[in-house]
Amino acid sequence: MAKRLKATERKATILAVAKVLFSDKGYHGVSVDEIARRLGVSPAILYRHFTSKEALYEEVLNDIACKRESYVDAVVKSDGSFADVLRKITRIYIESVSRDPDYLRMEMQSALEGSDATRQFFENRWRPFTDFIEFSLKELSANNSIEPVNGRLAAMAFQGMVREALYSKCIYRSPRYHDLDLFEISDYLIGLFFNAVGYTEPESSPASLGGTAPG
Amino acid sequence: MSNFDMELDARGLNCPLPILRAKKSINSMTAGQVLRIIATDPGSVKDFEAFCKQTGNELLGTTQDGAEYQFNIRKS
Repeated sequence: MAKRLKATERKATILAVAKVLFSDKGYHGVSVDEIARRLGVSPAILYRHFTSKEALYEEVLNDIACKRESYVDAVVKSDGSFADVLRKITRIYIESVSRDPDYLRMEMQSALEGSDATRQFFENRWRPFTDFIEFSLKELSANNSIEPVNGRLAAMAFQGMVREALYSKCIYRSPRYHDLDLFEISDYLIGLFFNAVGYTEPESSPASLGGTAPG
Repeated sequence: MSNFDMELDARGLNCPLPILRAKKSINSMTAGQVLRIIATDPGSVKDFEAFCKQTGNELLGTTQDGAEYQFNIRKS
């Protein structure tokens, strides 16, 4: 018989077990019965804490995703430049992934399953990047700080670059990124991106950490 | 809502842009002045609460009118 736990401990245990199962098999691949079985409790116990499997899945996602407050904090601590804000919000996102690679697996599973709710969730996680890049490039171009560039395309390209690197490093364990940690990869990609859009970092921004470029 | 000294139109912008623009506006203001921000991102309610908590500026009030949110922030 399962050890009696306090409600908060029980909830945390349910979230931890559900996260591993969802990241391994996706939302549709896991039943409430299976989660309960892994926990050694009855499904009724799960329903005491979560009204439905969907509610549990949503809480797992919110639990492991980076928080909006972190983005606010990044902006408050930044020098306000495009370079510094982009570098800081990218690091926050990457930190959340490095803290828990199951997040990426859940993102991939949700893409395969095509659920509107989860697709929306992950799209919202990328919006700070895409909207920020698109608007900022538009402003920089209007100020003649950079040549005219398609901001939407650039934003999507950046998102694609970061996603590819994270999947290669954390899921596929590609040797291409073997010698770089996630923050070095982040700095490398941001440097590449700035070059591509013709943006020169202001003096006050911290210089890129450099690192060996992956082949 | 009370009077304000500067208005920031952040409609149509999503996190982190309203916060970034608010930060820039507040930097150009003097202590005691009030910035009014109009935004449409529902997440901006929590964002500006966090912003004021982290910066020490005072959130005087938040109102919602349909899909629009208004925030009055006094620079500390």
